[in-house]
Amino acid sequence: MTTDLTVAEELPEPRERLLRSWLGTTDHKRIALLTAGVALVLLFVMGALALTMRAQLAQPEQNIVDNETYNQLFTIHGSGMIYLVVTPLALALGLYLVPLQVGAPAVAAPRTTMLGFWLYVFGALAVLSGFLTSGGAAKEGWTAYTPLSTARFSPGAGTDLWLLGTFTSTVGMILIGGTVLWTALLKRAPGMTMLRMPVLSWSVVATNLMVIAAFPSLLAALGLIALGRMTPDLFDSNLYNIGYQHLFWFYGHPVVYVMFFPFVGAVAEVLATFAQRRFFGYKATVLSLLAFAALSMSVWGHHMFTTGQAADDYYSLTSILLIVPAGIEYFAFLGTILGARLRFRLPMLFALTFVVQFLVGGLTGIMVASPVLDYQMHDSYFVVAHFHYTLFAGSLFGLFAGFYFWFPKATGIMLRNRLGHAHFWLLLVGTNVTFLPMFWLGLGGMPRRVATYLPTDGFGTFNLIASIGAGIIGLGMLAFAANLVLSFVRRRERRAPDNPWEAHTLEWATSSPPPPLNFDERHPIPPIHSFTPLLDLRRERSS
Amino acid sequence: MVFLEVFERIFTFEIVVAAAVFVIILGVLVVALLLSRKPSGDKRKRDSHPLIEGIYALLLAGVAGVIVYVTASAHQDVQEGPNGYQVANQAGAIPVDVTAFQWCWRFDYADTAKSVTGTCREKDAGLPTLVVPTGKPVELRLTSSDVIHSLWIPDKAVKLDAFPHQTNTVTITFDEEGRWLGRCAEFCGPYHPSMHFYVKAVSPQEYEQWQQQGTPA
Repeated sequence: MTTDLTVAEELPEPRERLLRSWLGTTDHKRIALLTAGVALVLLFVMGALALTMRAQLAQPEQNIVDNETYNQLFTIHGSGMIYLVVTPLALALGLYLVPLQVGAPAVAAPRTTMLGFWLYVFGALAVLSGFLTSGGAAKEGWTAYTPLSTARFSPGAGTDLWLLGTFTSTVGMILIGGTVLWTALLKRAPGMTMLRMPVLSWSVVATNLMVIAAFPSLLAALGLIALGRMTPDLFDSNLYNIGYQHLFWFYGHPVVYVMFFPFVGAVAEVLATFAQRRFFGYKATVLSLLAFAALSMSVWGHHMFTTGQAADDYYSLTSILLIVPAGIEYFAFLGTILGARLRFRLPMLFALTFVVQFLVGGLTGIMVASPVLDYQMHDSYFVVAHFHYTLFAGSLFGLFAGFYFWFPKATGIMLRNRLGHAHFWLLLVGTNVTFLPMFWLGLGGMPRRVATYLPTDGFGTFNLIASIGAGIIGLGMLAFAANLVLSFVRRRERRAPDNPWEAHTLEWATSSPPPPLNFDERHPIPPIHSFTPLLDLRRERSS
Repeated sequence: MVFLEVFERIFTFEIVVAAAVFVIILGVLVVALLLSRKPSGDKRKRDSHPLIEGIYALLLAGVAGVIVYVTASAHQDVQEGPNGYQVANQAGAIPVDVTAFQWCWRFDYADTAKSVTGTCREKDAGLPTLVVPTGKPVELRLTSSDVIHSLWIPDKAVKLDAFPHQTNTVTITFDEEGRWLGRCAEFCGPYHPSMHFYVKAVSPQEYEQWQQQGTPA
């Protein structure tokens, strides 16, 4: 049946129809590349907003931007990175790889998936178009707490557009997450049992379960704000204000793991490939990912310790219990590389750094999950440092490990090694110089979301160091951009083989880039006896 | 000052645990990097070890249990007794109604009808000062007249949100005389960065004098 649907795409396309064939495609690989492409462009946009903020904060009492502008910058940086960059990148990784890894010719419900992409693009444009309105973009923070975000305290089209855009792109993410989950559960190739799915596919399954379960809560929360913008009196009752926070964080904590799990999966694949082994503790890892996802649904109140209206000890208990699944994943990472012959290629460098740097975010996460510490750290730069260690120093390093790893597969082009190394080292130095000082700023009493501070506060030195670090990150990202452009320009000299890294999973059995239906006569699906079919094949041949 | 003591005690505890975990994991990683150069190659056959994994999971649960126990009992210390969050109507406590608003603070002393507020605009001069006596519990009853704010005294490790249509209570005893900066921690709009106040702890005599004469202490 699937061949009937996609047969038109198998014919070679005339040039003038190329654009239309991309924008109306039903090929999961193209939808994923479009999503990731838009998200990568937005990553640079949101990064530019961050650099502007770091310039403003480099010294006390600066006036590079005023308070109102600064508030727009951190609101759009935060919401952009979460709703429009890292979540779409995480889901696009799954959309590209899961059908290939489970041996499916297409994603389930490809048109629905494509609709998800277009809703995402529309949402992103709506959020960003707030900058063009007279009152500027939204400026209530990515959390948009009520009643600050109601029309009484934040009038203007910027917030309306933010609501519309966030809502729309979140619907898009639910559609993409849902169809990929469907594919993994019901569209696997013969022989591909659930427990032969690669770790990345499992991580995406856990991710999409959270998307399905938690994202609708954000839609409800945004709907509540929309209602409040029409009838601000609604929030003259505490029930709605605290209720909004519950709805928001019921989404807001699982999304943290949505932006993390697919990169855990990517790091697992990269570590195993460059250790030339099967991933260690496969079943324990799968179980821990599912337990992690389940537990993530019960921790949201740890964002509300200081509200005086949450059962702090309960949420602290569930949050700290995350040590168990997280610890098992680390055990599996280390078990995979210990005693192996490692190849230190670029994806491996990013993956190994992810293991160390994410740990800083995770360990400080246990601190903020303890109410007595959170009473001091909440809404301070300590929290800013903590979540940037998880999201930037962690997830983004996992993302780049995956990016350098699968880019040749997706495009048929090998990226440049030297520029890649420049990217890696600048990012490694930059992230730590930027985010480490923020822990001390928070402990020293600097609140988050402040456009400036006084010379007497004593925040100047650490802020200056952080701003210099942000500049280093900026240089690293320029190296990344240059790498992409130069590799594309010289693509004929940089052709990628089918399996350049000697990796283990099905996507490496097909061509680079894969044919429209993923596998064909020249690239058939090999026999599947485990979660590493290509490794099994190599071992059979050598023995 | 029980809030700060508890914070420092638990922070030290968790930093030690975190540092130990970090060093162990970094150590294993470095060993893995060094071993990967050994000439004999990779001889490992098995790629899982359910027994070790199970024991390890139990160990992790034990560590989590210890952390939860230590932090939850410390949490009791700032909820029960003479000082703490949601400790209210204590005999001898001085009730102060704290109202946060866009973008400053008002402190109403419920017993004496004395009221202090400011503009929070022109740096030091416009900042309101919450004057409290040392050695006596002060009951802050927090609310807001517009959006959500949060009262934070960084030097004392105290933070509690101020919600509209809701009162949150925290009772604090200041042991020593001094003056500390208070901040708004919850983002509340354009002048959030300058929404500061001072807490000034003075001797009980000086406090009485200030209450009666109204001269700034």
